[in-house]
Parts: sequence; C-alpha cells; structure tokens
Amino acid sequence: MKSNRRLIQVLIFLGVLILGGYAIGHSLFASGGGLPGKGQTPPSFALLDMDGKTHRLEDYKGKALVINFWGTFCPGCVTETPDLEEQYKKHGDKPFEIVGINLSEDNLAISNFIKQYGVSYTMLQDNNRQVERAYGLKSYPTTFFVKPDGTIMDVFIGAMGKQDMDERITKLLAS
Amino acid sequence: MSAFENTKCTCGHQNPTGTVLCESCGYPLDPEEESSDAPLEMRYDGIARRSQKSNPSPIDRVWNFFSSVKVAVRLIVITLIAAMIGTIFTQENAFISFDPSTYYEGKYGWIGKWYYKLGFSNTYESWWFIGLLVMIGTSLVICSLDRVLPLYRALNKQQIRKHEQFLTRQRTVYTGAAEGPEAAWTERLAAQLKRKRYKVHMENGALLAEKNRFSRWGPYVNHIGLIIFLLAVLLRTLPGWSIDNYVTVPEGQTVKVPETKYYIKNEKFTIDYYADAELPTELKGTARAKLYETQAVLYDCSADCDDPSKTPKLTEVTRHDIIVNDPLSYDGIKAYQFGFDDTPKLKAVNPVLIDKQTGKTYGPFKLDMRNPQLDYALGPYTLELRQSYMDFALNSDGQPTTKSREPNAPAFVFVLKGPGLDEKGEPYMYFPKQTDKERFSQDVINGKLAERFDLKVPSMDGVEFAPVETSLNIRYDRAMPYIWVGAGISMFGLLLGSYWQHRRIWLRLDNGRVTLGAHTNKNNYGMRAEVASALRGIGIVVEPKSLDNGRNKS
Repeated sequence: MKSNRRLIQVLIFLGVLILGGYAIGHSLFASGGGLPGKGQTPPSFALLDMDGKTHRLEDYKGKALVINFWGTFCPGCVTETPDLEEQYKKHGDKPFEIVGINLSEDNLAISNFIKQYGVSYTMLQDNNRQVERAYGLKSYPTTFFVKPDGTIMDVFIGAMGKQDMDERITKLLAS
Repeated sequence: MSAFENTKCTCGHQNPTGTVLCESCGYPLDPEEESSDAPLEMRYDGIARRSQKSNPSPIDRVWNFFSSVKVAVRLIVITLIAAMIGTIFTQENAFISFDPSTYYEGKYGWIGKWYYKLGFSNTYESWWFIGLLVMIGTSLVICSLDRVLPLYRALNKQQIRKHEQFLTRQRTVYTGAAEGPEAAWTERLAAQLKRKRYKVHMENGALLAEKNRFSRWGPYVNHIGLIIFLLAVLLRTLPGWSIDNYVTVPEGQTVKVPETKYYIKNEKFTIDYYADAELPTELKGTARAKLYETQAVLYDCSADCDDPSKTPKLTEVTRHDIIVNDPLSYDGIKAYQFGFDDTPKLKAVNPVLIDKQTGKTYGPFKLDMRNPQLDYALGPYTLELRQSYMDFALNSDGQPTTKSREPNAPAFVFVLKGPGLDEKGEPYMYFPKQTDKERFSQDVINGKLAERFDLKVPSMDGVEFAPVETSLNIRYDRAMPYIWVGAGISMFGLLLGSYWQHRRIWLRLDNGRVTLGAHTNKNNYGMRAEVASALRGIGIVVEPKSLDNGRNKS
C-alpha cells in the first residue's frame, strides 16, 4: 500500500516533468518570431536554380551548409556576396555548400547579379515568398549555418562582416 | 510520537495523521475543534488528506505544495493577472510581419518598451506563462487525487451511529423526546425521509439518511475535464496537429497552402462598399466595407506537388465563396478571409518606339514588370533587355540599384539596335512611369539617343495592373475535438456540483431522547426546511428557523 502510493507520486511527477518540460521547452524554442533557432531543423524547400533544376534541402544532408537569403534590393546582401564567394572557393575541396536563396525577384535581376559578382555557388529562386515565409524571415540578409546532421548551428541576421563569416564557417566545418 | 497518539479516537478508531473528525464516530479530534462549540468544520468530512504525514520526505514536500488549495488559488490568481496584462497591447502573434523591438516603443512609448522588454508582448506563448499553466495542471491532479480517494472511502463506509457532539455541532440540529417505542418512531421518520428520496440506513436506535452523494464528485469530474483540456492544448504544439498561417492569392492565381497538400485558387475577389444613401449622416462620405469576398477553389495535389520544375497535378475538392466569418472548410482545414491588397501595382506596359525624326511608331510591345521577355523586334529595330530595376534608385556610390522588389519605380535598360545606330547597339534607359521619367531625367541619361527615339505608352489602355490580392488565414486544428470533450466534461462536473446538494441527516435515540443533526454542502436553508417537513410528517411541528444551530449566521 505504502510503496504503491509512492509509485503513484513518482509516476505523476514524472508525467508532469515530461509533459511540462515539453510544453515549457517548446515555448522557449518557438520564441524568436518563427525563425527556426539553434538546434532545430530548418524547414525543407524545393526550389529551382537558374538552369531550371530542382534543389531540395535534403540534397545537402551530410554536408556543412550555409543558406543565405538575399535580394538585389538589399544593400547588406550585396556587400556580403563577394565574401561568401571567397569562402566557397576557399573550402571548395571540403563537404561544404553555400546556397543563396533569392527573395522572389525575377530571372533577369538574379542572372545579372550572378554575372556581376561572379557567383559560383548555387543560387535558387524563391517564388511568391513561400520559402522566405516558411523560414519566418523578417529582415534581410539572414543566413543559416546548417551542420551536416541537418540541424542549425547558428543564425545570423543582417550583413556579415568577413570575420563573422569566417568564424562561423570554420566552426561549421569542424562540426 | 505524540502526533501518532492523538489520532486515536475515544471510540477506539485509529485515524490517519491530519484527521479533523473521527472517521468512525465523527468526534472532533483536532484540538482546536474539540475545545470549541461552534459548528464543525465538515470540509471533506473531516478526513485527512492522502499526503498528510508526520515526517514528510522531499517528494512529499513538493507533493504537499501542489496539494494545497491555498497554493492553487494563488497560482490561478497570478495566471489571471498575467493573462489580463497580456490583453493590454496587441500581442506579437497578431501581426504577420513586423519588428516587435521597435513597434511597441514606437506606438506606446516607454510603457510599450517595458511591455516588450518584460515579455508581455508574447504573454501566452512565453515559457513562464506556460510554466504557470503546467503548475496549475499539476496542482489540479494532485489536489484532486489527495482528496477524492479518502473522501470516497469515508463516504463509502459511513458509521450510522455518530458521537453526540458530532450531531449537536452540525448546522441543522433538533433535539426532543421520541414518543412511543423507539423503533416505530424511527420507522415513521424513515418513511417520511424516503418520500423525500433519501436513502435511509438504520441501526439499533440510530439513523442515517443521505441523498445526492454524486454531487460531491462534481468538482473532481470538473478537474478531469480541465486536465483533458490542458493536455489537448499541449497536443496542439505537436507538429501536424495545428496550422495557423497566411496565404496571399492574387485574383486568378492558384497557390500552395503551406504545410498541407492543398492548393487554393482565388477566382475572384470582391470588395463592396456601402453607398452613401445606406450610411448614417455622420459616416457619409467614408468608405465602409459591406462585403469582402473571395471566390475560392480548393485543390488536392496528387503528384509533383513540391517540385517547382513540374506542374502539380490538381483535382478540385471543394469551392466556396469565403466571406468574413464564413470560411471555406474542408477536411478540418479552414480558410478565413483575413485581408486584401488592392493598391494598384504595375503589371505590364505596352509602349511603342517612336522615331522622332520620321515620326514613325513601331510596336506596341508588351513589357512585363516581372520576368519580361528579353528580345523585342520592332520594325527595323531590335530592343534587348539588359537590366531591370523594380524600385530604381542610386546607391551611395552613385550606381543604379533597386530599393525593393515591388514595381514602385520600375526602370529598364535596353540595348537598341537598328539602322543608323552603332553596330553593337546603344543603351537606352526607360522609366514606364511619367513621374519617374522626370524625376530621374530619362532624357538626360539617354543623351543624344533621346533626341532620336522615345519609348512611350500611347494611352492608359497600354497599362496593365496586377490583380487584387486576397489574404487568407489557413487554420487547422486536430486537437479541437479533445478540447471540446474536455470543456464538456468540465461543464458537466460543474453542473453536478452546483445544481445538486449532498444532504445527510444523522439521528440517534438515547433513552427516548432524540438528537438529530443534518449537514449539506450548500443551501442550509433548504436543508432545515426539509428536516422540518419530515418532522411535521410524524407530528412534530417545528419552525425551520428554530433548527438553525444559532452559532452561525447562514
């Protein structure tokens, strides 16, 4: 009888810890206005590149991935592009990819930009702001650093300086 | 070990620690109760709570914290205050996209700034608010469990013959003489009580009549409902259980509904305003919406749903004219009218090329703002589109750039080729909007070429605007049935507990002297009237008021 009562107490506390822990944990991680946070998996996407080929987030599993949301209308995006390109060239021999997701602009604007800045990493076109919304973006540029296991290592909002970028990519490649 | 000794009653019954009234005879064990002559504290029939122990362990201490009704009430009050504060300013989740760090301060000043800083701008999703709800949930379970089991046991094996003090210290008391043989007298009273739907138990010279015991379970049924409700709310946070997002659909277009396999088409969006004649005088001349309506079609996607290089295979599943509060509803998914955007946005222009020297015009040709065609042949001339800017501006280095992706100030750079022009072509900049053309001095930029050629939209017929966009709120909630069930059970419990009263009458006869005590968990007035009526039935006329055990005011 007595041990039975203790068992019920322990079971109830365990239930409270699991359910309550889940509820509180969920509210902690969900805060930040819908932007997926560190440790979470970014929303999947399927977007076309400039040649009309479909790229999916799942295609990059197992590689260190940088997802950079950009637009020609965003000065910060424009300034960080050459640095991203430099990083991409520097780590070309490693399992490392950079994906630039354009913020629903048109072909001409994107292809001109790619030519102007000599971008060689993958550029994808968002359509009707769908992926941008799924990622909960509120300002540009926003860059996600995704580990090979598919979880987010870091999120950088705003234009990155050379050092910001280098530190994070080095850390990402070490993960 | 004095605490242990104190639990033994004069009648010989061994009670658990914390017992207020003896489980068997009802004699007050609590020293304070014993020394007083006020009506007894009958809450939970004076039983000990399950967790009351003489030397609690750490787990017991936590358990006791949540077992306390005083703590539960404080938790509820704190939660209510927090919930009230959360209604002062608009919560963050009411906006689709905005920057909360500047919005609150900008709109409400320093109060708004602190409101945001203290986290009240996201009250109901904050960890501390959820934490309060978790604590209330825990308290609900533990409080109920700690009381309902001992109460059930106590009410299930009630002693019929109670201690005299237990009877005289009830709120409804009668003492007098029993005329005639004791057994017959008791039988007559029992018959009266049975007519009042009491269940009567008798035992040599003592009587217990009871009715509506189920009403005592009302609060616990209510708590079970609340727990189901809280668990269902928790379920909503699991992926796939609930969706609350927004889609904007331009008229005539079909877009994917995020997080589902459905596509939705806006066939037509209508906005109707009241005519001046329909409006009261003070509102005349203002635009008052009469109707927002989206004629929507919902499609199920069977293949190629998320591959943008292929066209998805769609089959229509339902259509509905969505108006405010009348959503499209299919398979649990609801699409509500949320907003619209009818600001005119340039979609395409149809300009002609004018040779100023000959006066000849070539064209028109269609120039889309988004993804335009790159080559145009106009008589002997060709135009190659090289660059486009949706919202033209010059950046800090004096280079042309675009300020946004909306066609607010579109600009196009063509290369013009043809007779009398450089073989490689000559650049020509074109601003479709007349205001931009002047603002950015198109003719100065184009220099000499501007003297020979002009690109011009001949009339407003050549200007196409983007269709009106409707925004729909897509909602889906699989937890809703559980929330209703929880709410229903909770309401049922409330009903049980508040529309019926648990009434008990105890009676003992000692050598022709009758002592009667009656208890109800609410409505003592009704209890006294019922006892008086039963006594009248066997010839004892008493005023209900006179049964009031004078020491209380109820």
